[in-house]
Amino acid sequence: MSQPVSPPATLHQTLIGLGAIVLAAGMAYGAASISSVAGYAGIGPNVVPWAVAVALLVCGAWLVWEARTGGYRQLEAPSGGERADWVAFAWLSAGVLANAALITTIGFVLSCTLCYALAVRGLRHSEGKPAGTPRQTVMDVVTGMLIAAPVFWLFTKLLAINLPGVSGTGWI
Amino acid sequence: MDLWNQLMGGFATAATPINLLWAFLGCALGTAIGVLPGLGPAVTVAMLLPITSQVEPTASMIFFAGIYYGAMYGGSTTSILLNTPGETGTMVTALEGFKMAKSGRAGAALATSAIGSFVAGTLATVLVTMCAPLVADVAVKLGPPEYFGLMLLAFTTVSAVLGTSTLRGMTALFVGLAMGCVGIDQISGQARYSVGVPEFLDGIEVVLVAVGLFAVGEAFYTAVYEGRSKATLNRMNKVHMTRTEWRRSWPAWLRGTALGFPFGTIPAGGSEIPTFLSYALERKLSRHKEEFGTTGAIEGVAGPEAANNSAVTATLVPLLTLGIPTSVTAAILLSALQNYGIQAGPQLFTTSSALVWALIASLYIGNVMLLVLNLPLVGLWVKLLRIPKAQLYAGILIFATVGVYGMRQSAFDLFLMYAVGVLGLLMRRFDFPAAPVIVGVILGPLAEAQLRNALSIGEGRWTVFVERPVAAALLAIVVLVVVAPRLLKRRTEPVPPVEPADGAR
Repeated sequence: MSQPVSPPATLHQTLIGLGAIVLAAGMAYGAASISSVAGYAGIGPNVVPWAVAVALLVCGAWLVWEARTGGYRQLEAPSGGERADWVAFAWLSAGVLANAALITTIGFVLSCTLCYALAVRGLRHSEGKPAGTPRQTVMDVVTGMLIAAPVFWLFTKLLAINLPGVSGTGWI
Repeated sequence: MDLWNQLMGGFATAATPINLLWAFLGCALGTAIGVLPGLGPAVTVAMLLPITSQVEPTASMIFFAGIYYGAMYGGSTTSILLNTPGETGTMVTALEGFKMAKSGRAGAALATSAIGSFVAGTLATVLVTMCAPLVADVAVKLGPPEYFGLMLLAFTTVSAVLGTSTLRGMTALFVGLAMGCVGIDQISGQARYSVGVPEFLDGIEVVLVAVGLFAVGEAFYTAVYEGRSKATLNRMNKVHMTRTEWRRSWPAWLRGTALGFPFGTIPAGGSEIPTFLSYALERKLSRHKEEFGTTGAIEGVAGPEAANNSAVTATLVPLLTLGIPTSVTAAILLSALQNYGIQAGPQLFTTSSALVWALIASLYIGNVMLLVLNLPLVGLWVKLLRIPKAQLYAGILIFATVGVYGMRQSAFDLFLMYAVGVLGLLMRRFDFPAAPVIVGVILGPLAEAQLRNALSIGEGRWTVFVERPVAAALLAIVVLVVVAPRLLKRRTEPVPPVEPADGAR
């Protein structure tokens, strides 16, 4: 069922397995500082974290073993391209992270517009289309506003959910 | 008749203008997001969860349920017209439906899937009406050991049965359980894994994980790997079925409904399995085998579509009566109920019976609305498929922000959402199923509480799980679910009989 695996695939799969082991180690480290006072139950609040840590360790080790011995079993070929487009990923990351960093200072509408413009640019890049011309950028900013602003009004005015605005007016 | 009176009471609540409006909004929105590739009902409901602070429980549950099954109607439209399934449950529809549309029978495929969804949805709702109160009566008698057994069963089936590799399913499940461990321990009140971040004291919200994995992760995946994939749109024609097509669809609808319902009620992880089974069954029974995989056979659309809708409706039985979600969307609905402080479980039928019956009544109403929305108006929804991919996914990120930030107004959550999005990208690329993570996050803390309560009842002895017959039987099924497929697979080679671990004794 598993096809011959290329060396980079083996490396990537091994890294994923190691990731699970690192997570297991983190869980175990945290579990060590949780009290074990059991009360009536017989097991304390640290038992389940320990169990999860051990299980993750086993899963991670097993994944590494599978990766080193012919690759993950019963792997369905992932859809899409062979090669990853990390430039597009960087644009999207910039969008989401900028949004997270700026939302409380420049408000929901502006921050989301920025996120939208950056993300659209990355997605266009991944499609191999021209991206980043001034005209297109202006269009993207306008489109982003046209999505973000009504959403903002709908949630803050109609549903009274707190979303940050750049001014105190409640409109932006 | 008691059941009848309660159902009529439900209709009285569900048919008030405001609730009808919510049902309509839910159905329309559900169809829209079902049609749009990349947005599923789970993410949509997750993003809209902040409204639970303003809208009363009955209205919002009607709204959310409308989104859930509306998405299944819309998903099939995309599967038939575009060579990407709109939802996972409509994957099989994409096989035959797309072939039918390619050979110029898009209208018939759309008609059989919409009418089949209606027939299955309505019949399944009748079954929910009759089964749910019975299950609730039985469920009242279950104690913590039995609940823990049920949750263990949900964990096993969702990670071992779904997807192709048990190992990767289990890994995903334990990642979810690890996330579920963060926050204040329910029983002792002790903080776990809070690492000094106040947000972590409250735990990692299931909404954040769902939005991160499905919306942000999907946007990342599209940008990183799917940029050059081209989608081809099939030509639409008149939505209409001939007399022969009706005759071929009917039995397939009924078989699909019968197959889908039991799979929805047991924690077997959503509607993928019954749709595949129904497809195999129709292919076997069909008198037009030559059409399967070539020009497209109408039975191959009718059966799986019915199975899908029937399974989706049936997930309400374990959700409402046991508080156990059997699909990702059901997990989010459970979280919506938790937001209201409503405990899903057998008591729900007594404590919130008005809500439950209004919800069930709204399913009948919603199915009629969806038939109208999807048959004559299908052309309208198809226009949504013309939204360019770049703008669509970038827009989804804005909605993701609303859902996650609106939950507890914390920018930290947006960073966390980014991290979960990257996790989603990796999981998608390396074929890890996402559903076990969600089920792990929401059921993990509940299962832990049941486990510890069960041990308190057993005065600290683990034998409490095997001394109680129902709990022991559940554990035996858990072992069977893990072991049986492997034994069947190795049937050809002689294997020594494996003695199942405790629980079977």
